[in-house]
Amino acid sequence: MFVDAFGQFLRPETLLNVFIDGLSKAAIYAMIALGLTLVFALLGVLNFAHGSLTMIGAYLGGLLMVVFVGGTTGGLQRLVVFFVAVVVVFALVASLGGLVEVGLIRELYDRPPIYQILLTFGLALVLDELVRIVVTFYGLQPVADWQDALGTKPAFMADALSLGPIAVSPLSLFQILIGAITVAAVWVFLTRTRYGMIVRAGSEDDEMTAALGIDVHRVFTVVFAIGSGIAGVAGLLLAWDPVWGASLPLAHETLLPAFVVVIVGGLGTFRGTVVAAVLVGMVDATMTWWFQNAITFTGLPEMMIFLVLVVTLIVRPQGLFGVAEVGDH
Amino acid sequence: MYAALASSPIGAEARTLLPKVETMVAVFYFGLFAMSFDFIFGYTGYLSFGHAIFYGTGAYFVVLVANGKLPLLPAGTPFVVSILLAGVLAAVIAVLVGSVSFRLSGVYFAMITLGFSQVAYVFIRGWGYVSENPRDGAAVSTATHPSGFDIGIPGVDALNLAIGQLTGDSVAVGMVALNGTEVSYYMVGLVVLVCYFAMQRLIHSPFGKVMLAIRENEERTEAVGYEPFRFKLAAFAISGFFAAIAGGLFAGFRRSVAPENSMYFLVTGDALLSSIIGGFGTLAGPLYGRLFDETVREFLSKSGAGGGLLPYLRDHLPASVMESVVYNGLTVGEAINTFLNGHASLYIGLVFVLFVLYVPAGLLGTLRARFDGPLAKRVPDYLDRLRP
Repeated sequence: MFVDAFGQFLRPETLLNVFIDGLSKAAIYAMIALGLTLVFALLGVLNFAHGSLTMIGAYLGGLLMVVFVGGTTGGLQRLVVFFVAVVVVFALVASLGGLVEVGLIRELYDRPPIYQILLTFGLALVLDELVRIVVTFYGLQPVADWQDALGTKPAFMADALSLGPIAVSPLSLFQILIGAITVAAVWVFLTRTRYGMIVRAGSEDDEMTAALGIDVHRVFTVVFAIGSGIAGVAGLLLAWDPVWGASLPLAHETLLPAFVVVIVGGLGTFRGTVVAAVLVGMVDATMTWWFQNAITFTGLPEMMIFLVLVVTLIVRPQGLFGVAEVGDH
Repeated sequence: MYAALASSPIGAEARTLLPKVETMVAVFYFGLFAMSFDFIFGYTGYLSFGHAIFYGTGAYFVVLVANGKLPLLPAGTPFVVSILLAGVLAAVIAVLVGSVSFRLSGVYFAMITLGFSQVAYVFIRGWGYVSENPRDGAAVSTATHPSGFDIGIPGVDALNLAIGQLTGDSVAVGMVALNGTEVSYYMVGLVVLVCYFAMQRLIHSPFGKVMLAIRENEERTEAVGYEPFRFKLAAFAISGFFAAIAGGLFAGFRRSVAPENSMYFLVTGDALLSSIIGGFGTLAGPLYGRLFDETVREFLSKSGAGGGLLPYLRDHLPASVMESVVYNGLTVGEAINTFLNGHASLYIGLVFVLFVLYVPAGLLGTLRARFDGPLAKRVPDYLDRLRP
């Protein structure tokens, strides 16, 4: 049976399907992890509340989509609403992130880095519980409203698209597209804009950057806001995905794989994060296939993702693209 | 004490504020886990975000032994033996995990231990051998263990007393009559006390001084001639041992275990909350932190039996206040229901954030700084000074 499954796995159409599935997962992981890695590179803060920001983005996005898509059925109109929602969610979650940085994290820069983990961990508890209160108060969950959020995607994304011998989910392709755009946009921001240059300088040596007359604290706030905003947009994308959807556990379900991605890639490295996202996405997709077809162990994909983390840290403690000691953390 | 206060004129207020005996048992075993977490985090400075792996090992080991699922250990194995073996097993796991993890430090150490514990968590959640439905965890059936688990000296029946949430012994000696839960309270408390003194002894030994030296400056410790790696590993193993005992007590009292309340990373998070609120780097602090945590949770719980804010307000606020409108059709009663009904995590999270920001030494640590030394030594002097 195992050999049969292996033969089936090696068929080109299976491989291609798994590959596309893996890319779409990679796109999601990359989007969530990018914010995490940007914040770590510059501020040295490993943000435990990042998953909560994604979850908030998913709820906000789902809410916007349900309210504004309403009766419109046209695929194009829904796409337009989606992109408007992207902007709104980005703005809202980014301003939340900015507030958090100014109000809380700024207090801790002169303390050992462990305190930032503690603070963001507590913050995650508070945010999760606040969302829970709001959600239960308005009776939003588990009411069908969030099923409606799944239903607000354009009709052409609902059915599988057959390309020759393989069937592809258009939603996966859309996720890959959005993920690629996000990665490209962050890359352009970091390497082609003046502000990105300041960010890179700040992550190399923030004291020297400050000595050059740049207001590093404002840069910190902006980068934290951008990172949070990207996490929010990733959440919005997840609200459309039947595998994830807007839910309270989303905060942990996205935080842990995102941690794996940033650590495997090397904390605070852009290239490493993207490569690791693809790696983790592929492992996830492959193991999901094996679980569905040959191995009955339910936790297989999740377990393999964490094994990737453990093995990477054993073999290469600084991660794939990390330098030995990133900013003394 | 509790009974005396509860039947006094301020009984309603006392029931609202004070923790129940059941809660205190939970404070004890989880406090022990938080102490073992603090043993490694507070004294060597390594944040082990996967400490739940040891707690879970202890809990699952005890339940598996009680169900007769482990080779060589029949269902009738004395509880004390099984928690000690669980501790040894956890120490072995700690050596294995630690020998890999201690090559890293800081954030990386936290992450690799988190990785290990999540692997264990996912594994135990999918391992069909544990129970029919591993996702919901395993329970000890009353068929294999009718009366609870004995704490005491194996073989000497007179010294054994059984613990358990719904089962267990009750004792009546002369004037004193204790029900099952109160017996559990004293017996679990006894084990925790013994473990506390053992850890306390270790911390005040030369070994403990090396741990502190590692926390303060690892390179210098090495330069003085100690090999930090070995000391860290040993401390980790000891910490794992006591964490597993805490897990064993938890499973023994509850008679069941689930992946979510033993192996999940938020269990470690709860220990972290207790350590920070109680004061990390003070061994007893986490116990007080946990007491605080559980008290707030109980205070805000919706069930009336243990007292708490919600039933108190419902009983004592006049109906006119309950029905007055605060904002946009929201009555006071509804607002109380919404914001106080079991949302303890919110308030504990807020308290935690405030502690991290403004009281980084925690309750006990701050008091120690104020009194300039351990409380037990200093407080009597201060009290003497107040005497006329």
